[in-house]
Amino acid sequence: MSNAKVKAYAQALFAIAQAEGAADAISNELYAVARAYESSDELRNVLGDATIPSERRLQVVEQLIGTRANRATVQIVSMIVASGQVRELPAVFDEVIALSSAGNNQDLAEVRSAIALTDDQQTRLAAALSKATGKTVNLKVVVDPSVIGGLVATVGDKVIDDTVRTRLDNLKTRI
Amino acid sequence: MMAHVISLLAVEDPTQTHSWILPETAEIIYGGLATVIVVSALVKFAGPMIKKSFSARTEKIQKELDDAAAAKVTAESDAQNIRKALGDVAGERARILAEADAQASAVLAEGRTRMTAEIAELEAKAEAEISAARGRGSDELRNEISVLASRATPIVVAATLNDQIHKDLVENFISKVGAGR
Repeated sequence: MSNAKVKAYAQALFAIAQAEGAADAISNELYAVARAYESSDELRNVLGDATIPSERRLQVVEQLIGTRANRATVQIVSMIVASGQVRELPAVFDEVIALSSAGNNQDLAEVRSAIALTDDQQTRLAAALSKATGKTVNLKVVVDPSVIGGLVATVGDKVIDDTVRTRLDNLKTRI
Repeated sequence: MMAHVISLLAVEDPTQTHSWILPETAEIIYGGLATVIVVSALVKFAGPMIKKSFSARTEKIQKELDDAAAAKVTAESDAQNIRKALGDVAGERARILAEADAQASAVLAEGRTRMTAEIAELEAKAEAEISAARGRGSDELRNEISVLASRATPIVVAATLNDQIHKDLVENFISKVGAGR
């Protein structure tokens, strides 16, 4: 799917979220779904397998988020899965959260951490990132064990990387 | 005449002769005449035949002698040819043997030279391969160690990171970013 198509999808989905009157909540849930899809091989295999009947794949979506997410979120995810565009799910949903952030005059700040951050840490981190970038940020923390330790923050085109993984990679390159 | 002779014999007694050893005169005369006639006839008629027979026999014998001499000459010539051929065969055999010896020596020398060159080439090739394998082995070992180290390091580091270290890393990040990094 082209970048323009991804943006078009995202704008349509964001319009639905706005129409539901819960744009921020739905965007956050879609973001969480996108991260879950990225981190789970099993979920990717099931949702992306065209040989599995779409009814069965929609049942999986329903079982995963049916009771925990907004009804609109479940319907959006089901629509993406049913349309056979599930591979583009992370890109589309990332664009949705970016639109949501822009709507609140915020920049999306995605932070990857090896461990879950406390609310206090998230608040202080959001403030620090806002100070560093000069923009109000919509902080999204993704727990990613592959970073080993430390954090990496992406705000727009800016990347602030202070992870153990990157330090080890730099060390390996130097060696 | 025969009738007269028979009449004479008939009138005389054959048992009564004038000599116990000599025949009668007429008998001598007639006997002598008959002998002359018979001998003359023999000389006239049988003589040439006998003479011819002897001449033919002589010629035949002479011819056989000549043939034998010619055969002897031929045999001697053949014997000489055979002896010469034998000599040639012996010479040819010696020549072939000498030629074979020379060829064998040349082949042996060439083979020895070629084998020496091939052995030298193989030795050089083996040396080069051993050297390359040694270098390759070192490189492979170094790469393997590097790969293993790069795989092991994150695992080891991750295992050594406890909650406090994780917390310190997060706090350190927030501080650095907040300080206007």
